[in-house]
Amino acid sequence: MFKMLNPKRFYHAVGKRKFLEFILFAVFILFFYGPILNMLMLAFANEYTAPNILPQEWGFKWWEYVFSQDSLVSSIVQSFIVAIITTVVSMIFCIPAAYSIARFKYRGRKLFMLSFLLTNAFPKLGIYTSIAVLFYKYNLMGTYTGVIIIHMINSMMFMVWLPASAFSAVHRQQEEAARDVGAGPIRTFFKVTLPMAVPGIAVATLYTFLGSMEEAQGTMLVGMAKVQTMPVAMYGIVLDSSAVQIGAVFAILLIIPSAVLIFAMRKYIGPNAIAGGFKMK
Amino acid sequence: MSKSLKQKLVAYALVLPAFLVVMLTVAYPIISAVIQSFQDEETGAFTWDNYLYFFTEPAQQQNILYTLYVVIMTVIIAIVVAYLLALYLRFVHSGFAKSIGTLYLLPRFVPAMCAVYAMITIIRDSGLINRIGALFGVDIQLGLMYHANGLILMNLWFNIPFAALMITAGLGAIPDSIIEGARDVGAGKIKTFTSMILPLSLKDVVIAATFVFMSNVGSFTTPYLMGGNSPKMLGIALFDQFNKYLAYNRSAALSVIMFLICSVSAGVYIYTNLKEKDWE
Repeated sequence: MFKMLNPKRFYHAVGKRKFLEFILFAVFILFFYGPILNMLMLAFANEYTAPNILPQEWGFKWWEYVFSQDSLVSSIVQSFIVAIITTVVSMIFCIPAAYSIARFKYRGRKLFMLSFLLTNAFPKLGIYTSIAVLFYKYNLMGTYTGVIIIHMINSMMFMVWLPASAFSAVHRQQEEAARDVGAGPIRTFFKVTLPMAVPGIAVATLYTFLGSMEEAQGTMLVGMAKVQTMPVAMYGIVLDSSAVQIGAVFAILLIIPSAVLIFAMRKYIGPNAIAGGFKMK
Repeated sequence: MSKSLKQKLVAYALVLPAFLVVMLTVAYPIISAVIQSFQDEETGAFTWDNYLYFFTEPAQQQNILYTLYVVIMTVIIAIVVAYLLALYLRFVHSGFAKSIGTLYLLPRFVPAMCAVYAMITIIRDSGLINRIGALFGVDIQLGLMYHANGLILMNLWFNIPFAALMITAGLGAIPDSIIEGARDVGAGKIKTFTSMILPLSLKDVVIAATFVFMSNVGSFTTPYLMGGNSPKMLGIALFDQFNKYLAYNRSAALSVIMFLICSVSAGVYIYTNLKEKDWE
């Protein structure tokens, strides 16, 4: 077993191709997962001074610290409130639009579709600053409504394009079959079309929710410290950097919702489902 | 009412609410920003000064060039690496390839800030790499924090998986039969690649490149946490103009400049997407 630890022996034992693949895999893991794993370790480090690579003392000291800070706990609550409302509201607006774009042929269809690209083509911060000027006029600065509008803008493209590509992948014949046996249009939609498009919609919803959970710049600008979500609180923590561990604990707290949701929706998440959100069909 | 008219009404009724939201919350602010960018801060009269400021002030010129440098490097490296990775994922069917095929989806769902923070814990002066170096008696100073290379490294972390995903989806759509066909008529590996695989996947490469480009021109979180004070990425420069100096007209002008930089790639994107189909 330990013979394998010698790179030369390993090379000759598994052959050139496997060896190269192994190197690729190792680089991949180190680059993409190394930082996150390191942070995971730091979150449980009571003592971690240079030049130690591993913490001198493990424990939950910094978790207790984070949960004893009222402002941090309230930012967690605010994050969830904002993310849930954003997701629901943007579903109400976007899914009908997606269905319309996927199923009907009419003048200006492509133009409608392209209009959602606007949210991604203009620099986000540019949109936020321009909106902020308007928000001042209508007293929306520092309110939940303002922050939710900002979060919605962020995800509208996915919320329309992804479900649209899912809807258009449902065969018309299946809908027609349902109509033939006497189902009305609304019933056909809920019993046939919608269930078949669920994977695309699920990924879009996931994006919207997670996008809202992690949105920071717009919230910081429009929330004006009155609405303070987790990422905004995190900016403060990172820039203060009194102890790396606080940031690490908080970052793990931010990752947990993503991890849970991705695990729950793992069968829907694939390259094709995600790529669908960036193409017009 | 005829059936087709009724259908059209339904179609418009479904699409219009979302469209109006975009018009009201995105298009309207953009238009008002464009107008504002040509107005004088105090008198509101027409002026080019807001734009001239960004092209004549040396610090601001630096910011624009710096941003372009970081973004273009990011696009080039990300696309090349992603393409190789996508080819590997498409044509090699081993256990390693399968694992990478699953694992590369996850970085997209890691909140940006967490990823940046995690990277900082590795590359900062007393970070993991420095500590590992110390173990072997070497003092490794990466100098990546507050430096363009650090920003590019972080951008690659975000964009390689994304670009690889887009290109993999494109390569996946190329049937094996086409490739085998090319092989059968005697095309070598390289010939098959240049005459079949590359042209067929080019569209996805362009889409990936445009999105990488657009999302990095206005990037904020990475430079905010990792970038230096001067030169700055345009996203930070914009935030400063707006939040620190309260120069609304100038920040409007800077947004428009950033938009124009992005619109070059947005134009390419729209062109590739609509090339085959006419406007309906």
